Amino acid sequence: MAEDEDEAGFFDDEGADDGGLDGAGGQGGKRKRLFSKELRCMMYGFGDDQNPYTESVDILEDLVIEFVTEMTHKAMSIGRQGRVQVEDIVFLIRKDPRKFARVKDLLTMNEELKRARKAFDEATYGS
Amino acid sequence: MADPARIKREIPKATSPGADDDDDDDDQTGLEDDGEGASTSGSGRNETKGSDGQSKPKEEAKDESAAGEDDEEGGDPKRLKVEPEKKKEKRQKVDEDEIQKMQVLVSSFSEEQLNRYEMYRRSAFPKAAIKRLIQSITGSSVSQNVVIAMSGISKVFAGEIVEEALDVCDKWGETPPLQPKHMREAVRRLKTREQIPNTKHKNILFH
Repeated sequence: MAEDEDEAGFFDDEGADDGGLDGAGGQGGKRKRLFSKELRCMMYGFGDDQNPYTESVDILEDLVIEFVTEMTHKAMSIGRQGRVQVEDIVFLIRKDPRKFARVKDLLTMNEELKRARKAFDEATYGS
Repeated sequence: MADPARIKREIPKATSPGADDDDDDDDQTGLEDDGEGASTSGSGRNETKGSDGQSKPKEEAKDESAAGEDDEEGGDPKRLKVEPEKKKEKRQKVDEDEIQKMQVLVSSFSEEQLNRYEMYRRSAFPKAAIKRLIQSITGSSVSQNVVIAMSGISKVFAGEIVEEALDVCDKWGETPPLQPKHMREAVRRLKTREQIPNTKHKNILFH
């Protein structure tokens, strides 16, 4: 039932390409495309053709936006209410090994880079 | 706040001091299992001790370990310090091995493969757009780390869908580029595996 609604939403997006400014679509309907260029490169990197279909890129963008929205809503409801913090995201992702490892790597890398930049700045400033 | 990687490692150290020898096995399992392993062994101990002498054996065990720490300084404290270092060395060696293998692999790529690999590594969601999206949902500002984490997870998510869609495309005997029907079938499959979050449908157990 819910899946039928989702697919109907996708159909509407592909069919009605007027570019008109209707009321806010449930699936990010007539909103401007946020990630078209980056998603194309990403799809190529993940194994698709060098020129992926625009409709596929649109579907993927809607899915990503829905994913971010769901994650944000869930993060707002746990931990500190109404705010999104890194710990909440890490908690939500704990069951998925890939995403968990990726977030851990990204955050540790970020810390290392910050430390390196600070040390570099101090070195140039001191000398 | 504390680094998530550091938080995970502190859990086994916090539970080991007052524990029996059984918990040493937990320390040697992988990092991600430590929290769960320690908690299940704790509940196991409660059940095995039985209802009669429940508090006494635990106290005796705690006294013994405390006395042990005072008397023999070459006992538990040193073992606790050595094991995390050994694990770190082992992990560094595994990292170096992996880095070397990756170098060998990448050096033997064809040009098309190199292109694709470069796109795979370099593509990313723009941080500004993600930040704007999150802030439009929360209504308040978010820290930079949140944006970094969210764009990282979104990229992994997109990758999972594209991988599954390529699998579908292959199974149906068709070729890339991917068509919307492949993407939709991929989403349907991932939904049954619960890899796509969906809070719109509530499961009411007893009508």
